[in-house]
Amino acid sequence: MSEPQRMPFVESLLEAAAQARLPGSNIGWLDAARRENLEAFAAAGLPDTRMEAWKYTALRALGQRRFAPGDAQASSRDVDAAALALPGVDGPALVFVNGVFRADLSRLETLPAGLNLRPLSQALQGDAEPLRFALSRHYREGGDVFARLNAALAGDGVVLQVAAGVKIAQPVQLVFVGAPAEGDLAWHVRHVIELGEGAELAVVEHHLATAAHQHLGTQVMDIVLRKGAQLRHVTLQDAAEGSTLVRHNSVQLDAQAQAMLYVLELGGSLVRHDLHATLAGDQSRLDTRGVFVLQGRQHIDTQMAIRHQALNTASESVWRGVADGRSRGVIRGAIVVAQGADGSDASLSSKNLLLSGQAEIDTKPELEIYADEVKAAHGATVGQLDERSLFYLRSRGIPLTEARSMLTAAFCRAVFDSLPDENLREHLYQQLMAHLPSA
Amino acid sequence: MTMTTETSERSDTSTTLRDNAEVAEALGRRYEAGFVTDIETDSLPPGLSEDIIRQLSALKQEPEWMTEWRLKAYRHWLTMPTPDWAKLNLSPIDYQAISYYAAPKQGPKSLDEVDPKLLETYEKLGVPLHERAKLAGVAVDAVFDSVSVGTTFRKELAEAGVIFCSMSEAIREHGDLVQKYLGSVVPTGDNYFAALNSAVFSDGSFVFIPKGVRCPMELSTYFRINAINTGQFERTLIVAEEGAYVSYLEGCTAPMRDENQLHAAVVELVALEKAQIKYSTVQNWYPGDENGVGGIYNFVTKRGDCRGDDSKISWTQVETGSAITWKYPSCVLRGDRSVGEFYSVALTHHHQQADTGTKMIHIGKGTKSKIVSKGISAGRSSNSYRGLVKVEKGAEGARNYTQCDSLLIGKKCGAHTFPYMEVKNPTAIVEHEATTSKISDDQLFYCRSRGIGEEDAVSMIVDGFCKQVFRELPMEFAVEAKKLLEVSLEGAVG
Repeated sequence: MSEPQRMPFVESLLEAAAQARLPGSNIGWLDAARRENLEAFAAAGLPDTRMEAWKYTALRALGQRRFAPGDAQASSRDVDAAALALPGVDGPALVFVNGVFRADLSRLETLPAGLNLRPLSQALQGDAEPLRFALSRHYREGGDVFARLNAALAGDGVVLQVAAGVKIAQPVQLVFVGAPAEGDLAWHVRHVIELGEGAELAVVEHHLATAAHQHLGTQVMDIVLRKGAQLRHVTLQDAAEGSTLVRHNSVQLDAQAQAMLYVLELGGSLVRHDLHATLAGDQSRLDTRGVFVLQGRQHIDTQMAIRHQALNTASESVWRGVADGRSRGVIRGAIVVAQGADGSDASLSSKNLLLSGQAEIDTKPELEIYADEVKAAHGATVGQLDERSLFYLRSRGIPLTEARSMLTAAFCRAVFDSLPDENLREHLYQQLMAHLPSA
Repeated sequence: MTMTTETSERSDTSTTLRDNAEVAEALGRRYEAGFVTDIETDSLPPGLSEDIIRQLSALKQEPEWMTEWRLKAYRHWLTMPTPDWAKLNLSPIDYQAISYYAAPKQGPKSLDEVDPKLLETYEKLGVPLHERAKLAGVAVDAVFDSVSVGTTFRKELAEAGVIFCSMSEAIREHGDLVQKYLGSVVPTGDNYFAALNSAVFSDGSFVFIPKGVRCPMELSTYFRINAINTGQFERTLIVAEEGAYVSYLEGCTAPMRDENQLHAAVVELVALEKAQIKYSTVQNWYPGDENGVGGIYNFVTKRGDCRGDDSKISWTQVETGSAITWKYPSCVLRGDRSVGEFYSVALTHHHQQADTGTKMIHIGKGTKSKIVSKGISAGRSSNSYRGLVKVEKGAEGARNYTQCDSLLIGKKCGAHTFPYMEVKNPTAIVEHEATTSKISDDQLFYCRSRGIGEEDAVSMIVDGFCKQVFRELPMEFAVEAKKLLEVSLEGAVG
């Protein structure tokens, strides 16, 4: 594994791996999986833009940076618990600061019956066998470089299981706080979520920072929804300006399972979100709703791959993007309908506003269809605010800047209209408004 | 692998067809057994090397600069990896097994020797009898109709100042023009197959429309049907000077049987200020049999450069043939207010694979592009649209509209859409829409309940699906394209 010219990034993470004392290191299969993924990472390093999955996101600058291996002081960093609160979300909560679990900030005291929620580090101390399938994955795709890294180095994360038939009323909150440290550090969290047959759950994932920092965070989340299970997953990504955040989420839906995923991307300097959804069971349904609002030099790359491989499945994705300043928004949405997946109904809409001459939007909606009893459609646009609408508002005495921000807000807002939690929805709107240019 | 007995439109003579006598002589020579000796003198052994390219260039009596140009392309080609990004499943091509210059192979002696299936197809397409023979590659006596048409229209073109000749002839006689424009749109090192073509291209067409001239007729090599065939690597260059207009038709309406494997052509269009070029293609190369054996690999680079302000380039293509199609007719919209259009119908059946689409590169201010792509997949085929719409920073007010529809016929085929949109100008508007569906049972039922047979109903529906594109074709072409779809879809339903 010795190559003469290794990027500082790869070097620093390999050093971190050499020093790391990860929980569960006595478990043979886990060690093997970590080793395999680390070897793959070491051998391939970071991809360049010639690789299709990274065509619009250059990692050259990241490759020149070094990251310290985790935060030794994470458990004593000062974090204001009140700042983590989200309106209407006061159920069980798991809080991580720089990737380290903080029992003092979490709410795990009174878990409802049928809900198993604990940090991965604790779960690995007990019977790890139920996690084996998820944690022994080997990421063979060259584009999954950060998933490899995560699989090799993640020491903690969330284990969340809901027993069959159990409906959890209160949303579970997962909070990831980035806090400034002595240097730039890299943290990795690994989540395993499973909803048993007919179970129902809402999850709110929140990424935020106590102050500016330039850490690298990676997350891998595997979600499995058994027959008839229903999941609502809301992600509010408000990571530190300057930080790098890479999320690799997989969702598997068994028969009649339903998932509603909401994503609001606001923060971070280099953000990548991979979503791999598999509609594996008949009549399963996936909805994704997402908005990104970018300013300055932000770069957010969303890569969705939705795979229909059972009968009468449905997916609907609605995404809106706004890019201002010198930012770059990338969104790829691939719909794959496998052979025999008759009755699939898939649609994807990606509409984007380009507000500045220095910003860029790259969008790539894809359809890959191998079955014929199918309805599949996608639409994508890149443009600017409608001149006539602007004129309408201005002719009624609304100043240009205000008219612009009203229209921009309206453009994004509708995406979250279907979110049932009213308080949370209102909070998302406010966050959205606060990030819109000239609001 | 010998020579492409390609449908004659793209074909060309190395002898200049000055008058009927010469034509008769040329054809006569080909008809006689002298053919065999031709092969000895005119073909090169299989393989590719600098020596082969030098020999090829010498055989074609090319000037030194042309030889060097080819060699440069070849040297670059050697350094390039084979592209693997397209959604195609193909076995590696042995470039050393191909003969890069060969006289035409000997066709069947009479129609009786021609595959009856092929004749049946001609019948359905309504190809006149004497043309059927030519299309099937039967070495018949010269059919003077088209030759005389050829010569008369050459005269008319010459009066208008239009140059329309073979690429070999153009290199020899209009060297300065060729040197100025050749490779200026598709550089020698542009992509793997373009580099290969630049090194070994055998012939092609050259069109030059001088300033202010509206080409008096639609140009097509159709009239030069008797000419000696060009080969697998043809090169077409069309230049329209300021304010000029030309409509160019390429392709054939009847399938050719051919063992030929690789066809790598390059087409370059240059439109100067206010010039307009309309380029229509009906491609119906041999698609291989029902089991996917044989058929042409059609790897073509087509690009138009709207170099002048207010220029316009329009591509229309109907792709029904070839085992594998890899083709992206593109427009570089450099001039302000220039317009690019792409209308495409791609049909795949049996084991055919197509990865086709377009690129619209908006550079000038107020540039506009429109893309309408209709993909039809049947059998076990795979049909992909792959397109790029790129708006550069300076393309103030650029506008694009893209519509991609796919129709699936059968359960084992695939229809895919890979559109890339890259926008760097905030005043640009780029729109993309795509749908995939099958022929709806309701539509079929409606037709059938009115006594229309299933196959006819399907072809009616497909025809409606493609109407937007067919409308862009010159009329005769549209009629043929429609029939071609019917023929190609035979056996797709039921």
